[in-house]
Amino acid sequence: MHHDNGIWVSTEDLMREDSFLQSAEKELSLENVDQNGDRWETNRRDFLKLLGFGLGAATIAASCEIPVKKAIPYVTKPDDIVPGVANYFASTIVNGGDYCAVLVKTREGRPIKIEGNTLSSVTKGGTSARAQASVLSLYDNRRIQHAGTVKDGAVTKKEWNVLDREVRAKLASGGNVRVITNTIISPTAKKALAEFTAKYPGARVVTYDPVSNAAMLAANEQCFSARVIPNFRFEQADVIASFGADFLGTWISPVEYARGYAENRRFRGAKGAKMSRHYQVESHMSLTGSNADNRILIKPSEQGAAIIALYNELSGNSGGPKLGDAKAAAAIKKMAQDLMNAKGKSLVVSGSNNVMEQIYVNKINDLLGNINTTVDFNGVSYQRQGDEREMMRLVDEMNAGQVAVAIVWGANPAYELPNAARFAEAFGKVGMRISFSGVLDETTALCTHAAPANHALESWGDAEPKSGHFSLIQPTIAPLFATRQAEHTLLEWAESPNLNRSAEQPYYEYLKSNWETDLFGRQTKYATKQAFWDMSLHDGVLEMPESGLNAVMNEVSLNPDSVTKPSGSELEIAFYETVNIGGGQYAHNPWLQEMPDPVTRTVWGNYLNIPVEWDGVNHINGWKGLNDGDNVEVEINGKKMTCTVVRTFGLAPGTVAIALGGGRTSGGCGAGYGVNINDWLPVTGGMVQYHAAGVSVSGKVGVDKHFACVQYHHTMGVQASGDEEGKVINADEKTLGWKGFQGALTDRSVIFHAHVDELEKFAEEMEEFHEESAHLNVQTLYPDQSDYFGTGMKWGMHVDMNACVGCGACQVACVSENNVPMVGKGEVHRHHEMTWLRIDRYFYGDFENPKVVYQPMMCQHCDNAPCENVCPVAATNHSMEGINQMAYNRCIGTRYCANNCPYKVRRFNWLDYTTADTWPANEERVLHAEGDDMPFYADNLVRMVLNPDVTIRSRGVIEKCSFCIQRIQEGKLTAKRENREIMDNDIRTACQTACPTGAIVFGNLNNPDSEVSKMTKQAGAVAYKVLEEINVRPAVNYSAKITNSNEELYS
Amino acid sequence: MLLKRICWVFTLLFAASQFVLAAPTVEEGKALFVANCASCHNKNMKDNLTGPALGGVEDRWADYPRQDLYSWIRNSQALVASGHPRATELWSKWKPVLMNNFPGLTDDQIESLLLYINAAAAPPPPPPPGTPEASETAGGETPWMFIGLTVILGLLAFALMRIINNLSNITRVQAGQAPLQKTLVQTLTSKGAIAFMVFAVTLIFGYKTVDNATKMGREQGYEPDQPIAFSHKLHAGTNKIDCQYCHDSARRSKHSSIPGTNTCMNCHSAVKKGSKTGTSEITKIYASIGFDPLQNKYIPDYENWSDKQIEDLYKKWIGQEYMSENSLTAMDDNGRQTVENQWEGVVKALKNDLNGKIQGPIEWTRVHNLPDHVYFNHSQHVAVGEIACQKCHGPVEEMEVVYQYSTLGMGWCINCHRETEVQFADNPYYDQYERYHNELKSGKRDKVTVEDIGGLECQKCHY
Repeated sequence: MHHDNGIWVSTEDLMREDSFLQSAEKELSLENVDQNGDRWETNRRDFLKLLGFGLGAATIAASCEIPVKKAIPYVTKPDDIVPGVANYFASTIVNGGDYCAVLVKTREGRPIKIEGNTLSSVTKGGTSARAQASVLSLYDNRRIQHAGTVKDGAVTKKEWNVLDREVRAKLASGGNVRVITNTIISPTAKKALAEFTAKYPGARVVTYDPVSNAAMLAANEQCFSARVIPNFRFEQADVIASFGADFLGTWISPVEYARGYAENRRFRGAKGAKMSRHYQVESHMSLTGSNADNRILIKPSEQGAAIIALYNELSGNSGGPKLGDAKAAAAIKKMAQDLMNAKGKSLVVSGSNNVMEQIYVNKINDLLGNINTTVDFNGVSYQRQGDEREMMRLVDEMNAGQVAVAIVWGANPAYELPNAARFAEAFGKVGMRISFSGVLDETTALCTHAAPANHALESWGDAEPKSGHFSLIQPTIAPLFATRQAEHTLLEWAESPNLNRSAEQPYYEYLKSNWETDLFGRQTKYATKQAFWDMSLHDGVLEMPESGLNAVMNEVSLNPDSVTKPSGSELEIAFYETVNIGGGQYAHNPWLQEMPDPVTRTVWGNYLNIPVEWDGVNHINGWKGLNDGDNVEVEINGKKMTCTVVRTFGLAPGTVAIALGGGRTSGGCGAGYGVNINDWLPVTGGMVQYHAAGVSVSGKVGVDKHFACVQYHHTMGVQASGDEEGKVINADEKTLGWKGFQGALTDRSVIFHAHVDELEKFAEEMEEFHEESAHLNVQTLYPDQSDYFGTGMKWGMHVDMNACVGCGACQVACVSENNVPMVGKGEVHRHHEMTWLRIDRYFYGDFENPKVVYQPMMCQHCDNAPCENVCPVAATNHSMEGINQMAYNRCIGTRYCANNCPYKVRRFNWLDYTTADTWPANEERVLHAEGDDMPFYADNLVRMVLNPDVTIRSRGVIEKCSFCIQRIQEGKLTAKRENREIMDNDIRTACQTACPTGAIVFGNLNNPDSEVSKMTKQAGAVAYKVLEEINVRPAVNYSAKITNSNEELYS
Repeated sequence: MLLKRICWVFTLLFAASQFVLAAPTVEEGKALFVANCASCHNKNMKDNLTGPALGGVEDRWADYPRQDLYSWIRNSQALVASGHPRATELWSKWKPVLMNNFPGLTDDQIESLLLYINAAAAPPPPPPPGTPEASETAGGETPWMFIGLTVILGLLAFALMRIINNLSNITRVQAGQAPLQKTLVQTLTSKGAIAFMVFAVTLIFGYKTVDNATKMGREQGYEPDQPIAFSHKLHAGTNKIDCQYCHDSARRSKHSSIPGTNTCMNCHSAVKKGSKTGTSEITKIYASIGFDPLQNKYIPDYENWSDKQIEDLYKKWIGQEYMSENSLTAMDDNGRQTVENQWEGVVKALKNDLNGKIQGPIEWTRVHNLPDHVYFNHSQHVAVGEIACQKCHGPVEEMEVVYQYSTLGMGWCINCHRETEVQFADNPYYDQYERYHNELKSGKRDKVTVEDIGGLECQKCHY
């Protein structure tokens, strides 16, 4: 249960290697800055130069007149804008099938932050990292600023009416027209498309998804006569088995699923605790797999065999391909037993893109009695509709010169398709190629015309992610550039009589009238059309939940020979989607690029995950002796590419894995990071497969100089062999050379975990631990401050590590709320990432198939804060509300505080990342978008995303989590102004509101009725403070990780 | 030897300065006033409140011994009972309002109070515009005392030095040695003297540097030209328009923003000419928003009007008003010049580098500029703290052109947070400060200031 009982963050940590300890030691030293050799040296002459310059500059600055500032009021002030007060608008973030109901926070008319919309029963107020980051894409200076013709990677401006005429003429001249899209979940957009295809008889819509679920749709069509995704009810499942479906991270509707999943796993007190059991059958560690109670490791090509094994076990059949690994086969038998025991309350899902495998999964759910319980057909999901087979056919059509006009809307086939090169060639034979893309991506570069669409935050629209769940999209800012709503463009070209061209916002009228015709009659909540529209727009969602629909599974012939056969290949590769950049659609968003992958903890690119090997005695080696950051050549099907490796726990033997989405070549700042592996994706039966066999990996061919993995950064509680006798002590202490001086503290308590069946015993052990810690802290130099902190409010947080799935939404929300700068890959390599909130990932258990704990780690706001004592200028100090305050303008940058912080949550602005300094320096080192002269944050457009209530920190100061002090101040003020006591809802931190599972709760610890007090009380002894024994008295409580693993699985 | 002497001199100086610091000061008076008097006596010292206005109190008591005034402040009823003429006069006027007794006030404290009352009753004129100088010259008489004391002590030290020199020479002579006679040059170039000089110079320059550095960026008295000669004296003073009628966001937002042109139009669609400026200033509002004063209506599609169209319209308006004012039937030369001048003014006020058009917002010059790293919220102070605007912005209702009244320095903020009482009893928000409520009840505490609820903490303002 304890740190000493085997918790580790990496192989180096596990083996207590010197390199790791050194990197931890050097975290804050200048040496670390210099380790690449591209150092900046200072000698005496430089010093004198700088001194002279400094004096001169100071003199000039002092004699300068204070600049005259202007105050420009409105001419006619809008009624609903009060300068300085934020407005929130309900809207929806949609990108292909990704859906999130949101509230958009705007200040003085510009959107700056995304919050979840609690009125939506799909997302229930949760958000994803992608939705959080969407606001940054709005202010992307790489956006196409006007319509025009595309040539040589540039758009030459053309007025919209000129373009319209040209396109209409071409469309009218006959020939086939193809509209290429990703999944569209907007009913009104579909209507516009229908008008377009009705106008031009040769027109057809071709839909595919960047990461395909076509097989599942095809299987459901056969089994249930409906080409939809059922409504998976994770909250009702007691046993969940997932065959490679990453439903907590990327699969179909992760925000919704994570919320449901966590409902059944949240810690609600030790007594009589119950939780669901989750099996993950997979070949590499996905986000979902890392949360599973049991992982069954199989090779990527064995998924079909594994599904058949489960089916055979449940149905008593035999036949079909067999699993190579007897251990895995035995485990699946036991899993089958568990599933049977939870009949009607279990759920089996699969991420496979093989139709027969998906049919088997449906059959398994049928056998388990899950159809119409956990696999519900009320409120089916429309979030995946694509079929890449149609796309393949289109490529043939284009190649044969049968397509006159191709319109690309929201898709990027020239990058996303497995046969992109063939697509590009065929696409070139189309006479007129038009892109609606907002950026000059790979496909747009191949087009003849660009008709850039508005960003989602500038658009009107709607969405129906699930049957009966409608959502409205409303613009929160006028279009920044001369772009036009894509639906408007289509209707314009279709010469639609329903588009009121003289209206100020034609598509708004179109949308409104569509809702009034189609939806007003279906609902009973509102009596008048006006109320219906106003309230739907206000709420952002309109829900008409379906009920009573029962599906019966059709008789489908099962053919075990149609599933993927185990390849028998020595080395296989798995391709997976990451939570941050998806299939590459989100690659141009720095907030997402710099959000570490939850499992590998790498940023800015995709890396080849290689297994680690346990030599059975006392050493763990990287596969083939490779190290993190080594470059290797990978060859699949004769296609060779150079990848950078990262050693990863939890890969099946003989398996490597790599994420999709790297190697973008144009369209924004993500270009040039990682490798484009879409070319490697095999296509079987028309369907893209996300694994391949026959992989050969070379030895080390080089090193990625800027390999960026935050795994080893800001570590704490790391242990080392302390002295000659090999006694285990703290790494921090080793650096001090104390040789175990503080002997009682070597056994540091960062992570606690227990099995749900042993919870009561665990609670007792924890009780002992708390007593022991309290005993250690009896003698203290600190004065008793209970009176001081007991007056008024005392802020604190509770983190339920059982509800936390590690998705990273909180991290991006924090970046967005607090103006945390992005630093770029090279700077992350140098341990300079600035994120205030990190999600630590710890392993424990079996070395070859470990379990994972995610721990969101932010400033703990210690009452006895070690950072405060060492600051020579008192720039960091304590408030009576228990907040560890950081006054940036007082900080002189000694970094003593960061050094003394036991949690390593303080960040130092090594460079002028935000270009906030009056005297810019080192600008060439901070984040630049590819090919830009200007640093990323120097651009005025990008700076529009900054939160005006939070200071932009300049170079040379420390910063860290403030518990969203600006929100605390705002919440307090609201309560004061309204003459009432403060309530929980007045203040919710950015991480709290972003969390899809409600794992983070913030509030007033002095109020016994606050949610945070209740949560902590409910958790009882199972709640603990990280490093409780060192008497720093943090304000953040964590409740231990509880698992419900099947301990007999491998016995 | 010399070092010892220097030490002596400094010790003496230090002791003297301690003595000087204990003298009555305006600051002390202000603190006392806020703590003891402000609940009944108006802070502006001009208007009566529960008690009479205190401005000029010394003059009114000038006919009587100073001690009488002290007694009156400490226990007014006792003085009334003793039949003191001034006391009786006051009592007959203010009966039955009783003044609280303040037996604990010392004479010095009362002097401080009186100093403050005089200072507050006749506020020093603002420093001349454009010179960002600190106004904190409170206690203007103390420098003279310092100088006097320093001179006396210097003489004393010199005399002592002479005596010591003579005495040591006497000893030398007695011991049969020749007496030491240092020339002035020798004395001044001695090690000790040079060390002292260096020390003094460093001290003075250091002080000056720090003192000036803290003033950098402070703009007290800043009074920039504005595009429109808007008179707060007329609007807020004479016409008594509430501050928050125009600056309405002050109670809702962190900003107290400048009103939009449409707010001006609430009145100026009817009030078309200024009492002093005639058409010259109000035409600027019309040209900004597009109001046709001739026909009393807003101009449709004003956005797309050309400069020439706008010029023609407003020149016609100015000319028409000029003629009717002067009862002319035809335009004269003077009138043409007036129209030309006024129109030039309009263009200058509305057209600039940012906005190349006449239409559009009026670009005011911002008077109060807080540093970037300070968060200040108007609604906290105006709506919750119920602080009068004038407390920070000064007598705006008397300002023809607005200037920065306060320093806006951190010390100024902090002092106010130290002194200002929180509206503790009236707002349920403060119920959670249980300890303070208990202490108030038990009498252990007599007030809760902003400081007590964390008003001096860094992240109240810096985040």
